[in-house]
Amino acid sequence: MPEAGSMSCMDLWAVGPEMVLAGLALVLVPIAGWARGPWRRLPSVAAFVGLVIAMGLTAPMLTAAPREAFCGTYAVDPFRAFYQLVIEAGTIITLLALASHFRGAEQEAQAPVALLMASVGGMGLAAATDLGLIVLFLQMVSFPSYLLVLLVRSDRPAQEATLKYFLYGAAALAVMAYGLTFLFGLTGSLNLRVIGANLAGADAAWVAFAFGLVLIGYGFEMTLVPFHVWAPDVFQGATAPVSGFVSVVPKVAAFAGLLRLLLEALPDSLVAWPVVLAIVAAVTMSFGNLVALRQTSLKRLLAYSSIAQAGYMLMAIAVAERTPDALPAISYYFVAYLCMNLAAFAVLAQVERMLGSDELDAVRGLGRRAPWPAAALALALLSLAGIPPLAGFAGKVFLLMAAIEGGFVWLAVIAALNMTVALYYYAVVIAEMYFREPERTEAVAPGAGYAWATCLCAAGTIVFGIAPKLALSLAQLGSVMLR
Amino acid sequence: MLTVAIFLPLLTGLGVLALPRSRPDLVRWTALAGSTLTLIAAIILWIGFDPSGGNLQWRMTAAWIPAIGASYDVAIGGLSLALILLTAVLLTVVMLYVFGEHDRAHAHAFLFLLLGTGLIGLFAAQDLLLFYLFFEVGLVPMYFIIGIWGGEQRRYAALKFFLYTRAGSLAMLLGFLALYLAMEPHTFSLPEIITAKPLAHAPLASALVFFALLIGFGVKLPIVPLHNWLPDAHVEAPTEGSVVLAGLQLKMGGYGLVAILLSALPQTVARFGWLLVIIALVSLVYGALAALAQSDMKRLVAYTSINHMAYVLLGVAVAAMTGNLAARQLALNGAAVQMVSHGLLTGGMFLMVGMLQHRAGTREIDRFGGLIGQMPAFSGLFGLLAFGSLGLPGLSGFIAEFQVIGAALQLSVWVAAVTVLGLIIATAVYLRLMAGVLMGSAPPDAAALPALSPREAWSAGALAGLSILIGILPAVLIAAIDGTTRILAQF
Repeated sequence: MPEAGSMSCMDLWAVGPEMVLAGLALVLVPIAGWARGPWRRLPSVAAFVGLVIAMGLTAPMLTAAPREAFCGTYAVDPFRAFYQLVIEAGTIITLLALASHFRGAEQEAQAPVALLMASVGGMGLAAATDLGLIVLFLQMVSFPSYLLVLLVRSDRPAQEATLKYFLYGAAALAVMAYGLTFLFGLTGSLNLRVIGANLAGADAAWVAFAFGLVLIGYGFEMTLVPFHVWAPDVFQGATAPVSGFVSVVPKVAAFAGLLRLLLEALPDSLVAWPVVLAIVAAVTMSFGNLVALRQTSLKRLLAYSSIAQAGYMLMAIAVAERTPDALPAISYYFVAYLCMNLAAFAVLAQVERMLGSDELDAVRGLGRRAPWPAAALALALLSLAGIPPLAGFAGKVFLLMAAIEGGFVWLAVIAALNMTVALYYYAVVIAEMYFREPERTEAVAPGAGYAWATCLCAAGTIVFGIAPKLALSLAQLGSVMLR
Repeated sequence: MLTVAIFLPLLTGLGVLALPRSRPDLVRWTALAGSTLTLIAAIILWIGFDPSGGNLQWRMTAAWIPAIGASYDVAIGGLSLALILLTAVLLTVVMLYVFGEHDRAHAHAFLFLLLGTGLIGLFAAQDLLLFYLFFEVGLVPMYFIIGIWGGEQRRYAALKFFLYTRAGSLAMLLGFLALYLAMEPHTFSLPEIITAKPLAHAPLASALVFFALLIGFGVKLPIVPLHNWLPDAHVEAPTEGSVVLAGLQLKMGGYGLVAILLSALPQTVARFGWLLVIIALVSLVYGALAALAQSDMKRLVAYTSINHMAYVLLGVAVAAMTGNLAARQLALNGAAVQMVSHGLLTGGMFLMVGMLQHRAGTREIDRFGGLIGQMPAFSGLFGLLAFGSLGLPGLSGFIAEFQVIGAALQLSVWVAAVTVLGLIIATAVYLRLMAGVLMGSAPPDAAALPALSPREAWSAGALAGLSILIGILPAVLIAAIDGTTRILAQF
């Protein structure tokens, strides 16, 4: 192990993207408080530029050789670069949608700061290989997310949602931190790879116990059943673009973190985690889909849908050590998930902004009232349902393939059944938009930010669906992890 | 050229979307032009087709998802060619039929053209993942067509159609993935899978894949007991939707049975041959009996589709079970001709029923009578298509059913006997239909119905004419199919 504190540990270039975004967030905190009138736009513009620069800094790391930085506490590998790119892209899309959503409101200046903070936390989590940093970054992705949900302070559901989110989050993270202390106690190290090496001789019962506790923390962020309880209320209580953000960025970060923990610290399928995760995946997707069938609030529906999607992705995590195709499959799926989920939330935001409702009948006849947003929403829903040639289809094929190749044929069958059930509730929304006559005449709220967010996501859904190799080759680059 | 034929409808459809909102007439012209060009492209494919040149003509390949061994790989054999021609013909006929309808014409034309691309692509795909992609590209537009332009119960019917087909297609996808993983190195390439027959020595795995694919294609065909979506979807769909649904989309199932299930897993199909024979016979008799009980003409025609498509399954089962090469080929030829013939005849029947509904606002047989005096041209076409459907010699249906029954005789007299029973019931169905609509006299309160417009006469007449052509000169069609079935028969 390198000497702690020695200068050779410092590698600030390795954390360029994080530095840019964190520095920008700190600078913007006072500005966001003071900005008035047209100056409220400044933080959004600055955050946008910062995110683009950060993406530019992150991209070259996709092809760099894996190494460690900061005395082994931070991984600089393509895996991290890939997930950071996804987080940055998701943040940019959310930023665009929020810029239109809060146009002229006091939140216009505040939202970008919280977004930047949360994305830095998520980016850190994808790279952290030290138990202490993992806890830190998990908090860092969670706390700004609480704030984002509470952006509209006068809104009762938002208050309730924030409280629920905060209480669940605090409890889950505390339990997880407790679990991590066991890993430290068993191995005497905070470093994931050292833990992995030392755990081999440890008592399996204690390892399983610690793993269970850690899974609660990640399961909370990943909305795995039964730790998903907060998600529907939070998604419904928050404004739609924020719901979209919460459904993507913390989830991406937690998946990356869990993958790193499993592959670096729990090698050789210690404590049979593949089977455990396979069962959790089956339960999560089935529960999410079955409950989604009965939702009439679109944000709740998408919340349960995103729980189900987490179940699909967990399927590939379960086989991550059994087949080399699993990591690219998850990574690709995240690109697809980002595009289709954020497209759906961007359109929903427009509808909600105009009608003040996210109930199913708010989109009745949307196909006539607002043809293009309706088409984008339909596209996103069809992609979530896994209809080709959209990105969600290719993603599901990769996931199913990984599951079968990893030996979980039963899981693939359950997933296929789930995808059939899921079609029902997506189709109901589409039917509401296209197969019924509109009862109201309003279109959707206008805004260039919405339009850009929707267009980018819809284009991604189509392009990555028709030519999956574009994203898949990136995903393959990004499956190289420091081990 | 094949790629042109596949994507021409889609490109036309995208072009249509760019036309101004205020010009539905322009949309109709463009869509008709696009489908006619597709038909011309299909005919060019036919002209350049060598009947003895194998199953991979006009082949074109390109990388698609190299990481998982999936490629854009299209080629045609005789069966594909016949079905592509059928698709282009029906697409053109449909575009002609809907010429005067202006309700959301842009979306309407786009969806039908997208469907055309899905179907032609499906019949040409030589890569399982590509096949699956086109399979579902054909599914979604139909969901919208039923849901937007359908009848009273359209939302229910559209959803049911979507869910049934999707459940089937996901089962099929799992089957494809299993075939893919069984190949070493992994590939989705259909010709390679057919050559290697990867699961020939894995009884359990091949049985699972067999049932997965049977469910996928069986929902589409449809076979009893997976047929439940069909009556609702056909009845609620608008006329042109029913034409495409019955005329073309059911062929996706039939084509899959022949080109994928039988070709990749012949031993397994033979192993479960009797099960398939029983399913086919049950579907055959059930479809005919259920049709006999209907008073709604559209529902009646829908149920006869179950009866007709069962011949395809029977042909496949007989081909897998008999060791006699000539009988195999006879059975497969029958199945192939049946698909084309059913597309023309049933597509035509749905058009005729649609014309009646358009005029009288009802489809109940009791509400009509004596049309032969009122609408001679309509009655002539109606009678021709109905006689074709019941298998009258001289029309295409006879050629198909005759071949399948002939091959079934090789297997067992009893199979052939039950088939003939189904044929007799189907005959009764159509005779009753013709007697009710064309003969006798109209109910006293029925309004006088106007004669056919040239557009209507042309669209239905084209289908009837092609059916007569195949009936009189079956060699036209069989020459193209024969080479393919000869290859298929040698598994």
